[in-house]
Amino acid sequence: MPMGASHPNTQDEPVLLADGLVKQFAGRRVVDGVGLRCRAGQVLSLLGANGAGKTTTLRLCYGFLQPDAGTIRVAGIDRCTDPETAARRVGVCTQDDTFDTDFTVRGNLEQVGRYFRPRPPALKARIAILLERFGLDRYASAKPDILSGGYRRRLMLARALIHEPQLLFLDEPTTGLDPQARLEVWELIDTLRRDGLGIVLTTHYMDEAERLSDELVVLREGRMVAAGKPRAVLGDLVGEHVLVLEARDPAAPAVCEWARQAGLPELTRVLSDLHLALDGPGLARFIARFGDLRFEVRPPTLDDLFLKLAEKS
Amino acid sequence: MTPHYRAAFQWQSRAVLGRHLTVYRRNWHTAALPPLLEPIILLLAFGVGLGGFIPEFSWRGHPVPYLAYLAPGMLAYTAFMTAFFQALFTAYIRMHYQKTWEGQLVTQVRLEHVVWGEVLWAATLGTVYALIVTLVLVGFSLAGWLHLHWIGAFLILPLLFLAALAFATLGLLFTALVPSIDHMNIPFFLVIMPLGFTSSTYFPLEGDSPWTQAWLILNPLHHLAEGIRLVLLTGEIDYHLVAACALFLLMISILVPIDERLLRRRVLGEG
Repeated sequence: MPMGASHPNTQDEPVLLADGLVKQFAGRRVVDGVGLRCRAGQVLSLLGANGAGKTTTLRLCYGFLQPDAGTIRVAGIDRCTDPETAARRVGVCTQDDTFDTDFTVRGNLEQVGRYFRPRPPALKARIAILLERFGLDRYASAKPDILSGGYRRRLMLARALIHEPQLLFLDEPTTGLDPQARLEVWELIDTLRRDGLGIVLTTHYMDEAERLSDELVVLREGRMVAAGKPRAVLGDLVGEHVLVLEARDPAAPAVCEWARQAGLPELTRVLSDLHLALDGPGLARFIARFGDLRFEVRPPTLDDLFLKLAEKS
Repeated sequence: MTPHYRAAFQWQSRAVLGRHLTVYRRNWHTAALPPLLEPIILLLAFGVGLGGFIPEFSWRGHPVPYLAYLAPGMLAYTAFMTAFFQALFTAYIRMHYQKTWEGQLVTQVRLEHVVWGEVLWAATLGTVYALIVTLVLVGFSLAGWLHLHWIGAFLILPLLFLAALAFATLGLLFTALVPSIDHMNIPFFLVIMPLGFTSSTYFPLEGDSPWTQAWLILNPLHHLAEGIRLVLLTGEIDYHLVAACALFLLMISILVPIDERLLRRRVLGEG
């Protein structure tokens, strides 16, 4: 039995369609013209530095906040005109643990089921399935306080899925988890995607975004600076290749000068290395000019993108 | 009916209320001890103990022993203090530390439902505690220490619920305003405790000064205590009960939208 939507949306309509979202706090635009599109069985990641507007964008989409401008459709429902029906179709896993500490693990799932109408059908059976599939059955009668970080996340995910939503929002789902627990959460997210759930997540873990995302939206100061497939976004914003050479190399000043004259972006210093983003022809020119240097060429990663964004802001 | 008040009757508010009730039911045996023991101790200490040194005095032309004077005041004080305390401390803990509200707000529950759920719960608990005090007073009556007109109790309980609703909205106002839990001492000791003791609950408040008169006219807790006292001591009803109802309805109608607006700003950062 799938953990997510049992009633997938029509193929034509994305499960999330947001357009022109604007949100101001104290006169400052923290979200400025953001548009998102996520289909069933797809993971859309919002990426950006702290304060880029990721969480606020997510909160607008799941209805915690109201946008000052823009439209949001969830599984074909307009969130502004029918917020209650729209809320019935989404599940939310917040960044902080917001499970109810007055209830046991099982009690949490029972209680959150009471916050939805129509009531989730066959709730007891649904809870049993969620407990088993998230590995929570042995903690069912325990208070959530005793759970490890990874299991707390599992409980948060199970809570978000109790009413079989079509769209799942995950706000930094693995922040603070150890590598093993992160991997387990990634596997759960991947399973949910395969079950046909649309998933929108925020993260500033580059490896997480790379591994999980079908589509990526990069935010900076509330605005979208790039959107698309992860590789395409990286190519657009960083370049096809990243050249790495030691900053102590005697030829480094000459490389910097060559890059400046070629109209390339400045080399980025990362610890003891210098990084230079290049396209294919640029790399060929570099090799023709500095072929005898010791350097490394690797594909760009989201870390490069993140550093680039940080540099620009 | 505006959305502020309509939310009180929607299923989401009942779901929030149900959540609090479920938690309370699990801990009822320990949670019921304070409302049961506190009035017994206070009635014994002040009503029987201290009251033994106070001669019968005239209250509105009726000779009244201090224990009989104290008992109705304690009913009013219990509904007032329980509802206020719940809406202030425990709601704040759920909002700030336990993040229960945030967990509710990512479902079909909206902030207005959380507000009404808290207010209704505080009022329910205030009424239940007042009912427990009533049972203690019945025990005192059966022991022959008190002589009250119990027929009026049926009238008093709905009024106590209304009072508790009003004071819960006041408690929630401070929940929305206080910067941290440490700052709760300010409304508690500067507003609530003085209000609780200067409202004809534990001793008669009289005076001809315009300030005293204004205080007595505008103070809903004074009207509540005096109205209940008249019902229980004489079986009569007078303008105090009407004044109390009017003032409580006024409080609720004013404070609910304010609470909601302030909490929207505090919890959601909006408004």
